[in-house]
Amino acid sequence: MAAEKWVYMVTAQTPTNIAVIKYWGKRDEVRILPVNDSISVTLDPDHLCTVTTVAVSPSFDRDRMWLNGKEISLSGSRYQNCLREIRGRGGEVEDKEKGIKIEKKDWEKLHLHIASHNNFPTAAGLASSAAGFACLVFSLAKLMNVDEDASHLSAIARQGSGSACRSLFGGFVKWEMGSKEDGSDSVAVQLADEKHWNDLVIIIAVVSSRQKETSSTSGMRESVETSLLLQNRAKEVVPKRILQMEEAIKNRDFASFTQLSCADSNQFHAVCLDTSPPIFYMNDTSHRIISLVEKWNRSEGTPQVAYTFDAGPNAVLIARNRKVAVQLLQGLLYYFPPKSDTDMKSYVVGDKSILKEAGLDGENSVENLQPPPEIKDNIGSQDQKGEVSYFICTKPGRGPVVLPDQTQALLDPETGLPK
Amino acid sequence: MAAEKWVHTVTAQTPTNIAVIKYWGKRDEVRILPVNDSISVTLDPDHLCTVTTVAVSPAFDRDRMWLNGKEISLSGSRYQNCLREIRSRGGDVEDKEKGVKIEKKDWERLNLHIASHNNFPTAAGLASSAAGFACLVFSLAKLMNVEEDLSQLSAIARQGSGSACRSLFGGFVKWKMGSKEDGSDSVAVQLADEKHWDDLVIIIAVVSSRQKETSSTSGMRESVETSLLLQHRAKEVVPKRIVQMEEAIKNQDFASFTQLSCTDSNQFHAVCLDTSPPIFYMNDTSHRIISLVEKWNRSEGTPQVAYTFDAGPNAVLIARNRKVAVQLLQGLLYYFPPKSDTDMKSYVVGDNSILKEAGLEGAKSVENLQPPPEMKDKIGSQDQKGEVSYFICTRPGRGPVVLPDQTQALLDPVTGLPK
Repeated sequence: MAAEKWVYMVTAQTPTNIAVIKYWGKRDEVRILPVNDSISVTLDPDHLCTVTTVAVSPSFDRDRMWLNGKEISLSGSRYQNCLREIRGRGGEVEDKEKGIKIEKKDWEKLHLHIASHNNFPTAAGLASSAAGFACLVFSLAKLMNVDEDASHLSAIARQGSGSACRSLFGGFVKWEMGSKEDGSDSVAVQLADEKHWNDLVIIIAVVSSRQKETSSTSGMRESVETSLLLQNRAKEVVPKRILQMEEAIKNRDFASFTQLSCADSNQFHAVCLDTSPPIFYMNDTSHRIISLVEKWNRSEGTPQVAYTFDAGPNAVLIARNRKVAVQLLQGLLYYFPPKSDTDMKSYVVGDKSILKEAGLDGENSVENLQPPPEIKDNIGSQDQKGEVSYFICTKPGRGPVVLPDQTQALLDPETGLPK
Repeated sequence: MAAEKWVHTVTAQTPTNIAVIKYWGKRDEVRILPVNDSISVTLDPDHLCTVTTVAVSPAFDRDRMWLNGKEISLSGSRYQNCLREIRSRGGDVEDKEKGVKIEKKDWERLNLHIASHNNFPTAAGLASSAAGFACLVFSLAKLMNVEEDLSQLSAIARQGSGSACRSLFGGFVKWKMGSKEDGSDSVAVQLADEKHWDDLVIIIAVVSSRQKETSSTSGMRESVETSLLLQHRAKEVVPKRIVQMEEAIKNQDFASFTQLSCTDSNQFHAVCLDTSPPIFYMNDTSHRIISLVEKWNRSEGTPQVAYTFDAGPNAVLIARNRKVAVQLLQGLLYYFPPKSDTDMKSYVVGDNSILKEAGLEGAKSVENLQPPPEMKDKIGSQDQKGEVSYFICTRPGRGPVVLPDQTQALLDPVTGLPK
């Protein structure tokens, strides 16, 4: 048989997610099984996403991957585990027009090219691994005609990066810790889709950080090994919070959602501080943002904004509705104005239409901001330029989708190499 | 009988102390009974102390107190409790020369003048309440010829300010939580005196703070009410650490002392973070100092410096010996140099003979500092002027003493009013 040269490709887009009840600590480092359940909100992939093109061809001589334009190694166990697991589930694929016929048994010997691209910088600390591994698994599942549902696929993505399993769904997602040793029941399930609570608006403050941060993987391992508070959190505190958070989401109970999100974020960081050596992910700017939100919530009587921080100084702020989000943005820009020569449209990205609603699209608009009355003079002076690199305005969003449009593919359809 | 005008006075000096196993949380707000034991190191009163003069005279028409030159109210329950408890234990006092004769029963109706002075600024966050209440109780006990021993006196000081009870002794002190409801067994005891481990050198970095801090009293109450990790700490973690710390002190085991001090300080701050709203006592400068010490300790193989932080950003660093303290000071001055026109003798106070040993007396000496090899390039740039207000060099010190010298008295011996 003459060497076949067809290239068969699929391109998919996956969102990232932010945990509101946190995952921190594994009971199994190899299979990536957590010590407690976690719950997340999926973010709108229009603003933050990973796009991955996967291609298969008999003419490829080895598996290759390019991440944000740069070739990377696939030899690490996380990639190997995902590739093995998904290959083991490949089905039959036929495209008569192109002369493609792949049988189940063929996936073992066919090689893959993978190109992946995040539309947000890795340095921003916005959980690119979660979106990345979810997209890898989802796109390969589509390519290989895998017959598993999204929860089954999440168990594979989980082996690439724990929190990736939650990016297999839109809206509100729970990662069930499972109890089996083989991890087959440690999967993500959808609690509610992205339309369920669509008043919520999310503003992310990307905080400047001088420090190189401890990676989540090594950080959580050190916490499991040295924090005397972690087991108590995992066994006693989180199970109750998971139930309460499921209720809060189901009932769109923003007050409970806020109380749980903030308390759980703080407790996660408390466990990091209780680690040896101690891990500090939040910095003074993160603390100032928390103070701002706490004071505002208390002065309003009922919570307006929930906050949560992952393994870095960025603040993820969830406003109960658009009107509150506009006020929040005005307050944030008052306390964290851009440097003098910054264009507002690069200081507030994502859903920039919020700038107009906040009266902030004009040139000197930031200087004209009044401090929010409830927080005036409580947080410190307005001279903190540069503490926040920029803001992203987004909202809860949908799960992974195939992108059928060839122009969005990252690999050339003929060569299978990056465009 | 003609109105008597004699004035009987006593002047005493009391040290402050720093907890290495922390007190945070009360089980009884009125009697000030803690949820766990604590252990502290008493600091040398030559460098940090409270001096209090107490005077009694039939000519005084009411109880009055002056703190650092300013008259304050004694109506609060803490002062009232201390005064009531000590008065009821007053004994007979006679000074034939002066014509003073006081009987036990007289203390109830005689009025007191009290003047107290801290030799360190209240704003420095160096636990002035502890030294202050300890001095009040100790000096009144001497004035009134109270027969109680120091542990019994500590139970009275405790009712003024919890940590004050530990300032009734020098060296290493334990505050036993007790189990009785009346608090009579919640007392301080001495574990070892100040000569027991006299290699230790203590350097305190007084860190600049923009924020008004949450008071210890309200902070620990909020923690008891809202932290889900606090009870686990109090019941499971601290009891074991207390036993281990007593052993470490007894055996001068610096490695264990360091591991316990650092982890307990961090866990205390973790519980603060786990509080609602979260309490941040440490700031980025505090974190940089911790990173510096952690990296140094790990690079040396065996710990050189222990750190601990109270309810504020100040770092208390305990070096295993003088040589290490000199290196530590050089490292600290490298990363936290004084502003350009600062006199070194006001930037490093207390035992400033250490400046000469560190080669840091001259005007340009800081500029000539080399970064410590273990810490070079790891902590960030050297341009953090002003982050530390000043340093205090001290060591473990003695307990309260009477100051017999009239020139040190804060009240005029004839009028009983502040000099």
